[in-house]
Amino acid sequence: MMSSKEIPEDEYYHDSVVRFLVMCSLVWAVLGMAAGVYVAAELVWPDLGFNQPWLSYGRVRTLHTNGIIFGFGVSALMATAFYSVQRTCHVPLRLPRLAWFTAVAWQLGVLAGGISLLAGINAGKEYAELEWPFDIAITLLWIYFGIVFFATIANRRIKPIYVSNWFYGALIIVIAMLHVVNSLAMPATLFKSYSLYAGSQDAIVQWWYGHNAVGFLLTGGFLGMMYYFLPKHADRPIWSYRLSIVAFWAFTYSYIWAGPHHLHYSSIPDWVQNLAMVMSLILLAPSWATMVNGIMTVSGAWQKLRTDPALKFIVLSLAFYGLATFEGPMMAIKSVNVVSHFTDWTIGHVHSGALGWNALITFGTFYFLVPRLVGAELYSVRLANIHFWMALAGTMLYILAMWGAGVSQGLLWLSLDQIGELTFSFKDIMASMPPYYLLRLVAGLIFLSGAVLMTFNLMMTVKGRATVRIRPPAVSTSAVQS
Amino acid sequence: MRETIQSWLFFRLLFKPTVVFEELSNTRPSPYSVFFRFILWLAVLPPVFSYIGTSRYGWNIGGAEPLFMTPGNLLVISIVYFFALLFGLVSTALIAQWMAGTYGARHSLGIHLALVTIIAAPLAVGSAVHLYPHVFINVLVLIPTLMWSMYLLYRGLPVVLKISPERGMLMASSLIGWLLVAAVSLLGLSVGLWGSGIGPSVGV
Repeated sequence: MMSSKEIPEDEYYHDSVVRFLVMCSLVWAVLGMAAGVYVAAELVWPDLGFNQPWLSYGRVRTLHTNGIIFGFGVSALMATAFYSVQRTCHVPLRLPRLAWFTAVAWQLGVLAGGISLLAGINAGKEYAELEWPFDIAITLLWIYFGIVFFATIANRRIKPIYVSNWFYGALIIVIAMLHVVNSLAMPATLFKSYSLYAGSQDAIVQWWYGHNAVGFLLTGGFLGMMYYFLPKHADRPIWSYRLSIVAFWAFTYSYIWAGPHHLHYSSIPDWVQNLAMVMSLILLAPSWATMVNGIMTVSGAWQKLRTDPALKFIVLSLAFYGLATFEGPMMAIKSVNVVSHFTDWTIGHVHSGALGWNALITFGTFYFLVPRLVGAELYSVRLANIHFWMALAGTMLYILAMWGAGVSQGLLWLSLDQIGELTFSFKDIMASMPPYYLLRLVAGLIFLSGAVLMTFNLMMTVKGRATVRIRPPAVSTSAVQS
Repeated sequence: MRETIQSWLFFRLLFKPTVVFEELSNTRPSPYSVFFRFILWLAVLPPVFSYIGTSRYGWNIGGAEPLFMTPGNLLVISIVYFFALLFGLVSTALIAQWMAGTYGARHSLGIHLALVTIIAAPLAVGSAVHLYPHVFINVLVLIPTLMWSMYLLYRGLPVVLKISPERGMLMASSLIGWLLVAAVSLLGLSVGLWGSGIGPSVGV
């Protein structure tokens, strides 16, 4: 580790790869959300599939989830991880060419993967639908992502490793572990494989993967984003650094057990279900500790709201983070889950996290980051403010529509008549759902329109401008030794 | 600073909310008077509407037949609904009062209860739709009502609590976080009650 304050003359942060990833993330946001709106419309008007297999609900829905998680979400996480690890370590990215290769290959992988899903090539595991050649490519690219990230940390000029890097580091390590274990399969042909696990073991492994992907990617990864960008935004240190570290370890320890709550009242052992329920409830503590830390950090920076449209998104994202992390443990309680499972309440819950937390914090971060990348003002503050209200309205409408639909379904599925038989058939129940689905479609359209406004706004901000070249600041000797 | 709130003030919320906010910003009401004159009645309205609607028409939740409940069961549910709403309204005021320190807002409990009254008033009036207990119609009516409530929260909070609009924005968003959690808790509580035999007959 360097102990002098000298920074070599030709040393600059590698921000062009960050800019590339942000722009790709924006494109995936629009495409992924548009796919979501399309499947929402198909639930209202099933004929929208036009008898084309590639336009059918089953295929476009996986395009929606994969496009949003791996295209929009992971590109945003890679971009912000690369940006913040340089700033928190006061060194440029190590292996910048590998970073570029990873960034570009990831986009091509998501594109090819999306096409394979539309073609009907599907491994049959939720959020892990891509077939084995893609799984191998994802593994390699994820390892490269990890090499660039950890090599930069190893090369740091400041001894303490800032908390955002703990979360990004956990994202990289845990997702690698989950992805490899869950994807173990025996290939039969180039595009068909069979899982190494069978029966309920397969289900447990799948939801150990599925829930922890939510935990370490959609929660942990984005918390890394929050811990770097919120204090930067607010221009003040995190409210309690100690709380952030305690919450990190509590979060990491408790999340990993919670997956089987997706399998309540199924053929997996009862004790596994109960353990998952208890660990899900414990999870509320570290989740809310982080929320309080975020809200208290921003509470003293209210003057910034006058000039900065981005901070509002982050404030609101914390409110929805609070909702999603409360609703999740509540739905993991078996007596609630018995009604909520297999209903649209779950879809509403996922979207209170995905729209309200992941998308809003990413939007806020991009509005902050993109003007700084090109050294310019945001193209239109007014458009960003309009986007804020559209995002809030879209998210609220979505959640309310799904609460209404989900609770009705839960009640109707289980409703018994006087001789103890089910009162309603599945077909009748689904036939009463289109009004809710229409409401959800409107919500999705509002949210998508907001994302289109943002993409236009940010594209106009960077148009014709070069990425600013920034040198790492000199590090004082005391910071190096602390 | 006045110590009482005129009852008609809340009727003006629909037409001239900013006048109401200004009035309240110059008032320092006693918490007891706000509780007994306003909060209590706001919490009574929805359960009464839903009791009348459900006993006459049954809840239409999308199936072919509406769901009816025994009178005793319905009464228990309505009472639980009343107390859940009362808890929600009072706890929101207490939480707003607790947050006031962080955001430099007025601290009196009475004014926070009045603020909650403003936010809840459209929803309580909108709950008249419970008289026709069809879930989707209820969702359809309560969504614009909720939007009006949220507008009143964001616009009214900084004026009533005498803080800058920016700090008001932060505090209102924090309160939204709490209200979302409270709403989903109400759902969870209802579902828990159904499972334990109170409410509609479900096979669990």
